[in-house]
Parts: sequence; structure tokens; C-alpha cells
Amino acid sequence: MEQYFGKAVKRVEDPRFLTGSGQYTDDLSLPRMAHVAMVRTPFAHARIRRIDTAQALEHPGVVAVITGQALRDANIGSIPPGWLLPDIKTPPHYAIAVDRVRHAGEIVAAVIAESRAIAEDAALLVDVEYEMLPAVSLGSAALASGAPAVHDEAIENVCFRWSIGDQAAVDAEFDRAAKTVKLSLRNSRLAPNAIEPRASLAQYVRASDELTLWTTSQNPHIHRLILAAFVLGIPEHKLRVISPDVGGGFGSKIFQYPEEVIVLYAARKLNRPVKWTARRTESFVSDSHGRDHESEAELAADDEGHVLALRVKTIANLGAYLTLFGPVVPTYLYGTLMNGPYRFRAIHCAVTGVFTHTAPVDALRGAGRPEATYLLERMMDRMAQELGQDPAELRRKNFIQPDAFPYQTPVALVYDSGNYEPALDKALTTLDYKRAREAQAALRKEGRYLGIGFSTYLEACGLAPSSLVGSLGAQAGQWESALVRVMPTGKVEVFTGAHSHGQGHETAFAQIVADDLQIPMDDVVIVHGDTAKVPFGWGSYGSRSAAVGASALKMALNKIRDKAAGIAAHLLEAAPEDVEMTGGQLHVKGVPERGKSFSDIALQAHLAHNLPEGMEPGLEATHFYDPKNFVYPFGTHVAVVEVDPETGRVTLQRYVAVDDCGPLINPMIAEGQVHGGIAHGVGQALLEHALYDEQGQFVAGSFLEYAMPRADDLPLFEIDHTVTPSPHNPLGVKGIGETGTIASTAAVANAVIDALGPFGITHLDMPFTAENVWRAIQGGKKAVA
Amino acid sequence: MQIQGSHHIQATRDQVWALLNDPDVLARCCAPGGAALEAEGPDQFKATVRVAVGPVKGTFQGHIRITEKTPPEAMTLTLIARSGVGGVSANGRIRLEEDDGGTRVVWSGEPQLLGMLASLGGRLLQGVAQAQAEEFFRRLEAEIVASDT
Amino acid sequence: MYPSAFGYYRAASVQEAVALLGEHPDAKLLAGGHSLIPAMKLRLATPSALVDLGSVAELRGIRQQGETIVIGAMTPHREIEYSTELAKTCPILPEAAAVIGDPLVRNRGTIGGSLAHADPAADFPACVLALGGTLTIQGTAGGRTVEAADFFQDMFATALQPGEVLTEIQVPARQPGVGMAYEKFAHPASRYAIVGVAAVVRMNRSVCEEARVAMTGATSKPTRLTKLEAALAGKPLDEATLKATCVNVVSPDGLLGDHTASATFRAHLTDVFAKRALQRAAERSTSR
Repeated sequence: MEQYFGKAVKRVEDPRFLTGSGQYTDDLSLPRMAHVAMVRTPFAHARIRRIDTAQALEHPGVVAVITGQALRDANIGSIPPGWLLPDIKTPPHYAIAVDRVRHAGEIVAAVIAESRAIAEDAALLVDVEYEMLPAVSLGSAALASGAPAVHDEAIENVCFRWSIGDQAAVDAEFDRAAKTVKLSLRNSRLAPNAIEPRASLAQYVRASDELTLWTTSQNPHIHRLILAAFVLGIPEHKLRVISPDVGGGFGSKIFQYPEEVIVLYAARKLNRPVKWTARRTESFVSDSHGRDHESEAELAADDEGHVLALRVKTIANLGAYLTLFGPVVPTYLYGTLMNGPYRFRAIHCAVTGVFTHTAPVDALRGAGRPEATYLLERMMDRMAQELGQDPAELRRKNFIQPDAFPYQTPVALVYDSGNYEPALDKALTTLDYKRAREAQAALRKEGRYLGIGFSTYLEACGLAPSSLVGSLGAQAGQWESALVRVMPTGKVEVFTGAHSHGQGHETAFAQIVADDLQIPMDDVVIVHGDTAKVPFGWGSYGSRSAAVGASALKMALNKIRDKAAGIAAHLLEAAPEDVEMTGGQLHVKGVPERGKSFSDIALQAHLAHNLPEGMEPGLEATHFYDPKNFVYPFGTHVAVVEVDPETGRVTLQRYVAVDDCGPLINPMIAEGQVHGGIAHGVGQALLEHALYDEQGQFVAGSFLEYAMPRADDLPLFEIDHTVTPSPHNPLGVKGIGETGTIASTAAVANAVIDALGPFGITHLDMPFTAENVWRAIQGGKKAVA
Repeated sequence: MQIQGSHHIQATRDQVWALLNDPDVLARCCAPGGAALEAEGPDQFKATVRVAVGPVKGTFQGHIRITEKTPPEAMTLTLIARSGVGGVSANGRIRLEEDDGGTRVVWSGEPQLLGMLASLGGRLLQGVAQAQAEEFFRRLEAEIVASDT
Repeated sequence: MYPSAFGYYRAASVQEAVALLGEHPDAKLLAGGHSLIPAMKLRLATPSALVDLGSVAELRGIRQQGETIVIGAMTPHREIEYSTELAKTCPILPEAAAVIGDPLVRNRGTIGGSLAHADPAADFPACVLALGGTLTIQGTAGGRTVEAADFFQDMFATALQPGEVLTEIQVPARQPGVGMAYEKFAHPASRYAIVGVAAVVRMNRSVCEEARVAMTGATSKPTRLTKLEAALAGKPLDEATLKATCVNVVSPDGLLGDHTASATFRAHLTDVFAKRALQRAAERSTSR
């Protein structure tokens, strides 16, 4: 039989995507469908004095205009956050603003019409009278005394204060440390920019009082749960959520957004299908953003460069409202990652979550872990610089050793496995590090400024043991489901609670099934993204599909194999434990010539003419898999940049990535994930900036202003892997979807600072735009002179 | 962002001051033929202004409020105006100085774009705002010339 | 895209386009559409009608008439970029075309559209100004020509009157001893010029007889750097001269600035890119 696991099988999804025959939400059309245009406020903060919808309603083709008050009158609930922290403030988040708007782009009315064009025409006729109020967009500014309040219930705009680690132990380490370094760092805000904008289509069937929502979601069951139980107040079985082909999520399609609430309400109210698709300019101001931290960090080390303790204070900008994972991203997905792959004695990380008059901030590819890695890896470089040590060697001497696992960090996590030096060595060899440093030195004499930057990152992903996350405030479980249904002909349908929005589950999961049941991949279909078909599942984010979703699948397959072996044993008149499966046949060990194929067994299971005593007919199994721990991918990324001192322009010349995500199910898909991840992280370092001005206006709201990385901004990546399997899941797999993003931002940042070393520059905040770098050089020149 | 400038007008400060307080004159100066200014109360005006910059054309509706005035020397005003694609808010200051038998109008302001305009128009704001303000005072001068004849 | 409703007319000739503009006073001409369509999509522009010039064959193409190169207004950037003729007779235009936007923009965008739109950060206006080009315009009253220097009036404002169509661009064919180059610092997102400098120099042996240098990106319209031009006349364009002259070429006062690049930075970039453009223009002046 062909072995699929580990093979670069071409993606079964791609023919439909490449030929334009994918079915995305906006491709769907239903009879009598009406269309929505959202009226969004241009103000960052304002009181709504009056909304006059009369003119819009008179516009030919307009069906209805919905206001926040109408939703309140219909008892449509506030959208709740999915994670709670001690003393957290959770002000209500209504789908349509009622009396105050708190960020530019917030919805103040929804116009429903026979066509989107009519709806957009009429949206301009909705007359909203505002009283403009002062606004604040920066986290630290929101905390300042006298800052405008975002919510009356959040004093000084504080949503929560959270910390992790032993502060006293950290203080003691700092007291005895030979060397300490300190940096103030800003982690810039990003807009997610999935290629497919968010979209929702709702249908109401009056006869059965049932709603169906097609939406761009990474986790349709979570949407159904929130919408049914918290927002609409209807039984879950009255709402079906379907997430068809989805063009990228990066976290931004996890959350419950106002627009889904609006289309569902409207569909039921009007008894017509109602559709909304974001325009790109809407995406910029209404998708949840990512990052946006201001931090103070101090690192202590002994005189040889062994790190002792890390002290971090972070202000996390949460935006105007808490969305689903808003509270957990800058806390448990951030503070717990501060240890990296190093041996720390003590770490303390305190985070203040702050409301501002900006779009909500939530999970974005990496979600907390890129922020932690950026901070830690910048601190490691700063320490190396301070000690005059090679940054690669400083990292090496601090690595947790391979015999030290399981390893308890000072910030709650227990690393189950790891072997960090081989990845570093592989990267150094690929780069030819010694020669690269020589070239750097030689070019500096010619007035050219090369920089080499490292990121020896560690990631915790594969979210997550449910009891653990529950104890930390999650209002959700984090297990995953898989249902394997074998047809009488031996063809297999798999229903997974994981969700593919570009990752290629239909391929990778089918590879696992085909191997396990020794059938051709073509005999397997992977179904996901429909609450009416798939058992309850938590969806895909936090690099959990392979580690948790595929593990659930593997466990369900074990059940199928066991039952199949039982049937085969019965038919072959042998004991089940004596039956094995080779070459696509179930047979008695050592007697491969007398076997039953998997399809024979499937047919027998369904005919049930001759099954073992007491065995149920059929061949179907469900497994709900709750992981025992996170999984811990790691690796070494190295960036080589050149800075043009005349213009400040940074060019990424080389990029080496060695990742360890355990065994690769499909190396081609993994490579694609690494490429995309690196591009995403490089984008943050060099190009992207979801910038608000001080008054809360978003000034980068189109691709004319917001710089996404493009092919010609990037070199050919040099990528490789080491393989250290996870010891606790049945496939040994770890996540690969976020590693590139987590690692690359820090690697590029360190490379830029390394290049700027001759100007006496020890730190510069992202993004490293030409002007930022040029100004730093001008300042540095003055300081050096 | 700050825009500023000054403009010499061959008229007395009292004359210039009077014009600056005449809604009809202001409307003509904002955009000839395309603006309307309606008094809403003392020193408060409702404004409708058509703006055209290249292919971008829009009608802005808003409110102008004179927040401080010291006749015939100085005034400060605020403006908030919106159209379907966003809006603009601004604080402005106008000072009238005696200048060689005429008046020097010294002006400054901090225009800020709102909503979609802020997202799209940033690179052009300074140039457009500066040009519009300069045009305003050129027209104001023309009003003086016209009232002289 | 959800623009406000508009009429669409496809003109078969310049004459028909002019007539259509007369019938629809609020109409806009559609050339490549890469500025106009996005503006309509966002409802920043709401023309009552579009008059599409895409089928007007007479507006497309590059030809030489004696010492003059004539480029049809509807010639796409891509045709200019890959023109082997222009590579010899006016290499600054293919060079500038190659750095406009991205391949999609270059396939559809046209030189006439770019000039008539007069975006303050567009590339071609500075080149045509530095070349001393002439623009031919057709209206109901017939044709007229306008010097590039008079054509660009302000941000998005040109000498084109309502109802007129820009039909041709004439630039002088390169003479022996003339070198030209366009250097630009592109906006990382839009790839418009943050600063672009077009330099056309006429050298006699190694001495500069005439330099025409125009910038784009930081001024409300393409602008000749006359102070720099004067300083270069009669000098060799060597490293020492360029180093001495390309300093504070423009004052940051009055330059455009935004969150990507301040006026101060743009003034600095003007020095850098003026020097780079002149360097390469001088090098190329010796080639045949």
C-alpha cells in the first residue's frame, strides 16, 4: 500500500481553488435574497444624538433600516467575551451602537435593500447626528489621568490587571545579577487582511422556525453556541452554522462579530435571506486587529551570560470592546511564553489590558506568542550586545538541555520535549555563519550595513487541555472531535471539528485516514464546517488542527481498526489480537494470502449477516480528544538584512528557517505554512502598520497605505526541519501554521538592529520603515560624533 | 498636522472683520457657488460645502462654531463636517494684524480627516487643506475688491 | 464594487469622445481606470457617466516623427516599458514605466490617464516635464498643444478643460550627448513615488550644458528643481559636483508629508534621488 503520511501529496482542494470554482460565502445566492450595507461611524468617539432613517427608508428598493435600538427592543443580547480573568471588566458589546460609538468603523445602522448597490446608496441617506467626543488610541495614553473614558464601568480604561510568575524571586535574581539590560518596546498593531473579506448569509425558514447562517468562520460551532445561547436566545438546534470555503483566517475569523448578528436578526424579521460581505475598507476597521503592546522589559544574567530572570510590564491595547479571545491573548498566551527555550530561574510578567477608541484587538496568527518571542528575543540580543557575546552562542549556552524534559518553566508551562541545539546548528550551517559575519565586517568598511538576526523561538500550541484552560478562565473546552463513517463500499467520510480555511485539511487528514485504513486517498472525503453534519468541535486556531483535530481523528480510526479487526477475526475464525493489516488486507498474522480487504469488512459490517456475537452493525466511530498538554514546536530562524544608510530602506537578503514541528504529515503543506508565516512576520517588522492617529482615526485603511509584504519584498526562503515528536499525542505532531510568524518578526528586528550597530543604536521600534531607520541613523550619527 | 499661512488684504481690520462675520461672504469664500451657510445661533453656522479635488467630489455638511472672538483682532473656530465617505474636523485660528495700511490675516489650523477619508486621504490632506485655506483667503480678498467697486 | 449608478459609453473615436463629453457634462473619461475606478468604488468619485477610450485605436501607439517621439494617450505603461524603440530614443520613459505600481497596473494603466489624472505622486508627469514634452488636446473647438510646464497646474489639476481629451504626448528624441534617468523611492504599499526624480542632462564632453531635473511625490504637482539645474550648468557631473550640489535641493517647508514619510524625510530623499538620477543620466549620456 502507498504510504501517504510524510509525502508531499498535492492538495485535493487546489483544483477547485485554482479554477475559481471554490464556494465561498459570497458565492452563495438564495431566492429573494436581500443585501446589507452597514452605516459605520467616522468618529472614534461620539455620542449619538439622533438617527433619522426616514430618507433611507423612502429610497426605492430599501427593505428595512435597522438600528441598535431595534436590536435592543428585540432582546438581542450583547456579544460576550470567551475568556474571563479575575476582576475583568466586560462592558456590553452590542452589534449596533445604541447611544455612543467607541471606534471609527463601529456600526450605527444597517440598511437592507434589494441589491447591495441600492443598500449602499441608501446608507448614505441615514442621517446620524453625533456629538464628537475626545478619543484615545494608544494604550498608555488611555491609562493617563484625564484620558477620555471608553466605558464608564472601566475606571481609567483598565479592563484587567494580570500577572504571572514570582515577583520576589525575580527581584532577588536581579539583586545578585552581574549584568542587567532594559528596553522599552512597542509591538505594532496589525490588520489581519485575509484574502477573503468576512461575509455572512442568513436564511430563515418560518415553517420550522430555523435559521441557517453561512459565514466566514474558523469555528462554526463556537458561533452557533454564542449566537444561539447568548445573543439570539434560541435553542442551538434552531440555528445551523455553515462555514463553506474560507479564504484565510489568521485568527480574524474566530470571533463573533456584529455583522452575523445583524444578518440573522434581519433574515428572521424580514423572512428573507440576507447577505453581507465586507468591502476591504470595512475589513480594515472592523476585523479584530492584532498585537499592539507597549512593554518595559528587564533581563538579568550572570557575568558569563547565563540568563537569570526576566521582568516584563506590558500595556496591552484591547481596543474598544472585548472580543472572544481578547483577554487571553495578551495574558495566558503571552506571559506563559516568556521563558522561551531558555533556563530561567525566575520570570515575572504583569499585563494591564486597556480599552481604547480603536477596533478590538484579538488573536492574530501567533496570538500573544509572537509578542512574547519578539520581546524575549530582542532582550537576548540586547544582552549579547551588552556582554559583547555572539548572539547565537549566548542563546546556545542558555538552552534547556534535551535530557531536562519534562521541564517546568517559572511561568506555568511544562515543556514535554525539545532539542534546541540541532536546529540552531542546522541554521548556522545553512547560513554559513562564519562567512556571513566576515562578509558583514568587510562590507562595513565599504559603508554598507548588513545585519544578521536570530530568533531561537519556542511556541506552545495545540490548544489545549480543557481542564487547564478552564482553570485559567476559558469559557470553552479545547478538545476536538472526529467522526469516521465508513460506507458499505468501504469509502470513508470523516467529519472533523477542526476547520480548514486554507490549511489543506482535506488533504492532510485524508492522508492519515488512507494510511490507517490502507485504502486509496481518493476513497476518503473530509467534511468540516457545518454544525448540522459535524459533531461539536472547537475549530481551528492556535495551530491545533494537527495536534488536536488529527489526534481525535487518529483515535477514532483506532476504534474503526479495532472493530474491523474484530469482524475480520470472526470471518477468518481467529482471535482479534492475531489479526493484522498489511497491504490493504486484514489477515491472520503470517498468513497474508488469506485476507479480507477493508472494503470487504465494511460491507460485512453493514450487511450484518455474520458478525461476532453482540457486535453492533455498521462501521462508524467518534472520538473526542482532549490533549494532555500543549505541543511545543521550536526552531531557529536567521535573517540577513541590508540597510541603505542614505534612505533607511531595509532589504531582506536571506532568510533561513529551521523548524521542529514533529513529523511532517505533508511537507509541501508545511512548507507553504512556513513561507506564509515568515512573510507575515516579516510584514510586521518591515512593512505593515495598522496605525491610528492620536485622535483614534485609522490612517492606513486601504492597500494604498497598508503595506502587505509582496513577493519582491522577500528573498527565497531557505527552510529545513528537525524532528522531535510530541510524546503525548498519537501522531507526535506539533503545529506549523504560526511558527513562521512567531519567529520571523524577532529575527528581522534583531538583524536590523545588528545592521545599525555601528551607529550606536541598541533598539528601534517596528515597523522599520525607511524614515524610522533613517531618523535613527541621523540620531545615532550625532550621538557617535 | 498643522497648516498655516498669512495673506495681505488691502483693507482695514474692521472691514476684514466684518466680512469674516458675514455668512454670505463666508459661503462664497468657502466654495463659490457651491456652499451655503446658515446661522444656527450666535456664532454658530450650519454649512454645506461642495469640495472637489481631482476626481474626488463630495458634499460636506457640518457645523462651524466660533469659539472665541476679539473684534477686530482674532477669532478661533471649530469645524466638523461629514459626507458619506467620512469627514473632516478642524480647529482654526485667525489673527488680523495691521499691515502697511492694510491687514495681514495670519491663519493656522489643525485639520483632521475622519472615517474612510482618514484611511485613504492622508497623503493628500496637507496639500489639499493648505490649498483650500489659501483659496479661501484669496476669495476673501476678492470680496474686498468687489465691495470697493 | 458598489459605485453610485453611472452611464457607460464606449467611444470609437476622439471625435465621438469629445461629443459624448459634451452631452454628459459630469462624465469622466475612462482610460486604464486604475485611479478612477477605485475612487468610484469608494464613492469618492461619482461621475454621472464614463466615456471609455479603450476602443479608440488612434489613441494608442508609439511613433517617431523626425526628432519627436509621439505617444498616444491610451498607450499602456506596459507597451512603453517594453518598447525597444523608446529604449533607444527616450529611455527614461520605459524606465519609469517599469516602476509604476505592479504588473497589473502596468497592463491597464495608460500614460495619458496618468498625466491627465495628475496624481502628485505619479511617475510620468515628472519625466514628461523633465523631457520638456508637449501635450496635444482635442476639444469641441479643435486641437491645441500645451507645454508640460503649463499642463500641470496643481494636485489633480491640469490645463485640460471640461470636454477636452488628451490625445498625444510628444517628447524630443534623445540627441547625442543626452542622458536621462528616473530614480524613485516607492511607497511600500501603493508603490507611488514618495519621491521620484527625473533627470535629463545634455553633456558636452564631460561638462553639463543643460540639466533638466523634475521631482514628483512631495510637491502638489511635478516640479522642476531649477536651483539645482542652475548649479549644475557648466560643471562636470562627477561625484564631487553632485555631492556639493545635491544638498538641500528643496526645502521641507511646503512639501507634502504624511505618516509614511514626513516632509523633512522627503526633502532628504530628494537630495539622494536627485544625485542618483543625475549620476546615471550622466553615465548614459555617453552611450549611443
